[in-house]
Amino acid sequence: MRDYWMSKMFFDLQNPALSAEFRSNREAFLKKYPLGEDVRKAIRDNDVPFLAARTNPYLLRYYFFSAGMKDDEFMRRLRDG
Amino acid sequence: MAEFAGAYAASHGPLLVRAWDRLPEDQRARLSAAYAELGRRIAAAKTDVLVVVAPDHWSNFFLDNVPAVCVGVGAENDGPPEDWMKAYPHRTIPGHASFASHLVNVSLENHFEPSVSHRLKLDHGFCIPLWKMGLQKLPRIVPIVVNSIEPPFPTVARCLEWGGVVRKAIKSWRGKERIAVLGTGGLSHSIGEKTMGAIDEKLDLQTIAHFSKTPAALISFLQKKLPKAGNGTEEVRNWLFAHGAAGGKGFELIDYLPVPGVYVGCGYAAWSATPASRRPGGPARRRP
Repeated sequence: MRDYWMSKMFFDLQNPALSAEFRSNREAFLKKYPLGEDVRKAIRDNDVPFLAARTNPYLLRYYFFSAGMKDDEFMRRLRDG
Repeated sequence: MAEFAGAYAASHGPLLVRAWDRLPEDQRARLSAAYAELGRRIAAAKTDVLVVVAPDHWSNFFLDNVPAVCVGVGAENDGPPEDWMKAYPHRTIPGHASFASHLVNVSLENHFEPSVSHRLKLDHGFCIPLWKMGLQKLPRIVPIVVNSIEPPFPTVARCLEWGGVVRKAIKSWRGKERIAVLGTGGLSHSIGEKTMGAIDEKLDLQTIAHFSKTPAALISFLQKKLPKAGNGTEEVRNWLFAHGAAGGKGFELIDYLPVPGVYVGCGYAAWSATPASRRPGGPARRRP
């Protein structure tokens, strides 16, 4: 399954300027995309398995790289939730 | 007529740049030697044009439009857009518009329908191998983007056949350029999925062995194994382009090593262009 707008946001966050904007005010940035409430919550909670089920795995990785999560932590959450 | 100047394959991976300094010294030495050997061969073969087959890691295309195969037909393309690839010296990369258009036309005549782009961003999949090969002079780069990132993917059988079409295009090109093919990506890796970081060395060694078997054996092996392998392993499609371009013969492993620090089973290969007697400088290259 692909959540289009969530994936679009992850795609856009490859842009360093947008990534900086996201990190400085995450809530304001999330408002720019018509995301479902469940998706917003999963992003707030770093719910990796929920997001993984709804996007491309490379985009998922870019997102968490952009959000500043270390690979070890990302891989642990991929495995264990 | 143009000459087929060889085919090559090399792995790529962002951490080969971002985490290079953290890799064990012996692994860095082997990786550097493998890339350098490919670079040496490409230079020694006096390669004028290099058709580089790589995936698009979400640099050009998004879910709006994901082509199975896209040929870069522009006079030039952009260097890698990734922030961490900024040190790569080539910010624009000359293409070969007329040969690329010929390649597209030959494809269509053979009932293969690529999409075309007049300007692509050549991301790390294209540029890490080119960078690490240390080529003094970059050949003109004709990019072919093959989707192995967002399913559904072109079949492995089709990718091998595509290699044959690339070979036909090279052999029928009216110019005198020496044209080679480089497939990048693979071998086993897993990115952004549960098995992230896992390298399947056994699968990689079997895959390598199958490049010296019949096309049917190679394809049936990959059809069976890829669905259970890490997602990055799908990039072996680009090796199939190289294999097909070489006529399915002459595979030679340059090196293989699993590199946990970059999450990739790193493989390097070359396919010889011609029998030894027809190598550059040999009698067959004298023209009337």
